[in-house]
Amino acid sequence: MRAYLIRRLLLVIPTIIGVTLLIFGVTQLFDPYERASLYIRDPRQAADINEIIRKYGLDQPFYIQYFNWMSQVLRGNLGWSQSMHMSVLEALVTHLPATAELALYSAPLIIIFGIFLGKLSAVNKDKAIDHATRVVAIIGWSLPSFWLGIVLLAVFYGGLGIFPPGRLSPWAEAMIASGEFKVYTGLYTIDAILNLNPAVFLDALMHLVLPVTTIVTINVALIMRIMRSSMLEQLGKTYIIAARARGLTSKEVIDKHATKNALISVITISGILTAGLLSGMVITETVFEFKGVGYFAANAATQLDIPAVLGFALFAGLVFVIANLIVDILYAYIDPRIRLG
Amino acid sequence: MHGKYRHGVSKLALIAIIVVIAAIAIGAGTYYFTVLPRSQIKNPDTIIVATIGEPETLDPAWAYDTASGEVIFNIYDTLIFFDGPKVDKFVPMIAEKVPSVENGLIKDNGMTIIFPIKKGIKTHDGGEITPEDVEYSFERAIVQERDGGPTWMLLEPLLGVDALEELGDISDPSQAAKIAEMIDKAIEVEGDNVVFHLAKPFPTTVFFQILSQTWSSIVDKECAVKNGAWPGTWDNWVDYHNPEVPELQEVDCGSGPFMLEKWEHGKEVSLIRFDNYFLGPAKIKRAVIKRVDEWSTRKLMFLKGDADIIYVPRQHMKEIEGAEGVRVVKDLPTLQVDAIFFTFEVDPKSPYIGSGKLDGNGIPPDFFKDVNLRKAFAYAFDYETYIKEAWLGEAEHIPGPIPKGLPGFNPDQPKYTHDLKKAEEYFKKALNGEVWEKGFKIIILYNTGNVQRKTAAEILKENIEKINPKFKVEVRAVEWPTYLKAMVKGQLPIFIIGWIADYPDPHNFVYPFMHSSGTFSAFQKYSNPTVDELIEKGITESDQSKRVEIYKELQKIYYEDVPSFIIDQPLARHYERDWVKGWYYNPIYPGVYFYVLSKGY
Repeated sequence: MRAYLIRRLLLVIPTIIGVTLLIFGVTQLFDPYERASLYIRDPRQAADINEIIRKYGLDQPFYIQYFNWMSQVLRGNLGWSQSMHMSVLEALVTHLPATAELALYSAPLIIIFGIFLGKLSAVNKDKAIDHATRVVAIIGWSLPSFWLGIVLLAVFYGGLGIFPPGRLSPWAEAMIASGEFKVYTGLYTIDAILNLNPAVFLDALMHLVLPVTTIVTINVALIMRIMRSSMLEQLGKTYIIAARARGLTSKEVIDKHATKNALISVITISGILTAGLLSGMVITETVFEFKGVGYFAANAATQLDIPAVLGFALFAGLVFVIANLIVDILYAYIDPRIRLG
Repeated sequence: MHGKYRHGVSKLALIAIIVVIAAIAIGAGTYYFTVLPRSQIKNPDTIIVATIGEPETLDPAWAYDTASGEVIFNIYDTLIFFDGPKVDKFVPMIAEKVPSVENGLIKDNGMTIIFPIKKGIKTHDGGEITPEDVEYSFERAIVQERDGGPTWMLLEPLLGVDALEELGDISDPSQAAKIAEMIDKAIEVEGDNVVFHLAKPFPTTVFFQILSQTWSSIVDKECAVKNGAWPGTWDNWVDYHNPEVPELQEVDCGSGPFMLEKWEHGKEVSLIRFDNYFLGPAKIKRAVIKRVDEWSTRKLMFLKGDADIIYVPRQHMKEIEGAEGVRVVKDLPTLQVDAIFFTFEVDPKSPYIGSGKLDGNGIPPDFFKDVNLRKAFAYAFDYETYIKEAWLGEAEHIPGPIPKGLPGFNPDQPKYTHDLKKAEEYFKKALNGEVWEKGFKIIILYNTGNVQRKTAAEILKENIEKINPKFKVEVRAVEWPTYLKAMVKGQLPIFIIGWIADYPDPHNFVYPFMHSSGTFSAFQKYSNPTVDELIEKGITESDQSKRVEIYKELQKIYYEDVPSFIIDQPLARHYERDWVKGWYYNPIYPGVYFYVLSKGY
């Protein structure tokens, strides 16, 4: 198992190099003048474009630029994000808590609801409840997140005056700025518990309701469909018939046998889904002013902020590799054949 | 049995989930309506601005964008400052007095300007502003001189150049030492005074306008040096020249009415009142500038009172009008001018000139060298429709590059109007009638998302194609990087762009629009020696009435030469909650000046 883990971890290196090379290569399709636009926000600065190209080495060959970047990364310097006006590492660290907090609440809800609805749908195959569950889930899946986000915001915040955008109310922000409230993790609900501050906890929770609802509504169908088909597959297998023939109750058959086996495929997709959530949800983060790494990456990409995009690629690559690793370990735990194999 | 199990568990689970959600909702609702502090005025001691974009830096020597300027001019002070809404009257700030010939602080025909420095002005870092801090601030700005930055404005009067490289090669130690000496001598401390020695005659009002803005902010030297800025020594000054990132990126070394509380990148900048401010503490405790990119969210925040002042894009203006508790101030004249520019010699390899010949499928690179064509295009543009559609009627059609409201603006100056007959007349004259006979195809770009440029390009297309079926105009949307590249490389036969004032003086407009070294003229390859001479004369003339005549003359030439034609000078709006008190408009301010604001009814 240890050798397996080490092998998997070592695979991270070529994966990351490959990803960054690819992204770096794509950015080089833009010529230096286009890449210099990152530094020119105003026509008043346009006259200095040639100096800017020289200063930032934008006209140097691809391999030199990549080598320069890589050598800095190996020294722990991910570069300067011109779109965020701070170092790339700092930008990632600053934006990660918002995304992590969204993922912390969204991922379990998506997985729990997805498994529950998938199972409900499968054991009621072709009945009204099955159709209804599937239709509702697919509608959720098909909704554009910006539309759902804006509608939720208009109804609850605009109409009812609850669930405001942002991460905290101004009074709570002021409390943090004054040092009265200590930030340990950047996940405000967790920090509020650590500070024993129920007011900030509830305030943070209030701000989480709509973005989490949006993310859950949109993503639950994914898990639900996988769970449903996987469950149906298991329920049709001979070991289930054999179990029933042995006189086991439906509850025992479904919970102890079918569900456990059906969960294997759900675990895979849950891992990828969680990694996806941790890599940011651009639209939701933007609509609800819940600015995390997704917002940071999208903002950087639209402005051709190459160090930031590459830094994000490194981060996202790591998240996915780690998520896959966790999935594999869980596999091994659930299915001894994998462990033994 | 099977059915019983299924329904039993499903119901239980469902009920449990519903109960949990209901409990959260009830708890949250109760909390929101009972626990949270509620008052008629939301956040009574805080002004929240919701806008787009965010500062690039807090380093006054680096900042050239309005978002940075908005923060900097609230945390730093300058020697003098604009007198309320006026752009040509000043009040002393760090200086004891505004220098004048009468009070003896302007000498040698305006070449020596003396600023006595107030004593006891406290800085945010715990120090006091001294004349040495003032000298250091200007010298540091010049030493830093980054590409694309604002320092050229200080260089022009103090060293007589637009860039330090014009004085010599700074990589050569002997030349660098010579330049250092020049910088050192330009700004000197004499007792309690700071003396500026100008390198060339320069209009005092313009110099004061430059000194009243963020690039002239007075920095606490000790604080700056502590944070890694130039130490004030000349032996290694070149190491601090044109850095890759700003020296005082996120540092507050100011003495202004607010202090930097926090800058959460991509989210907000929060400022807190400086209680030891030398003019007395501000009325509000905190000012927050939030970056809220999504319009729907920004609008809701404003309507719910969670934002006090917001940026409203022109196309959404009507959505806010008439809303309860909202004040809209209209028709604010801006110091912005938008124009359609002609490139006199397009890069022959440009992909935007079709065949590159006058054969009906393209244009020759020097197409717009013919003044008849420039005039024909200017007459073909429907100014009224454009202003109505692109600016919803809230813009002015002015004759030349000098905006209305600045000295030298001439309302009697003739201007091009929409006249297709005249346009036809000039098209027929162009290139000995060949244009009319053979026709042409031209490509006009606009950057995606820019409604004004798109509208202008489409209006031009519609009208030109109406004149002769052989005339073809293709309007293409591209991203800003592509647009910028094509413009600076001289690939665009026509480009649409605007200029926002650095300082409210006509020189700041005629130079980029008309001088052969000006930003736009250089891309266009437009050069008129008479114009260059007049512009030089305008900026070295200290007699204001003579300057006005020079600028009138330049506008006349602009009309005759048509290197570009002005399509609008926009009128702005300001949106605030009606509980915001004290706001006034100064077109040169980079944003909201929080010191004068309060909240109440």
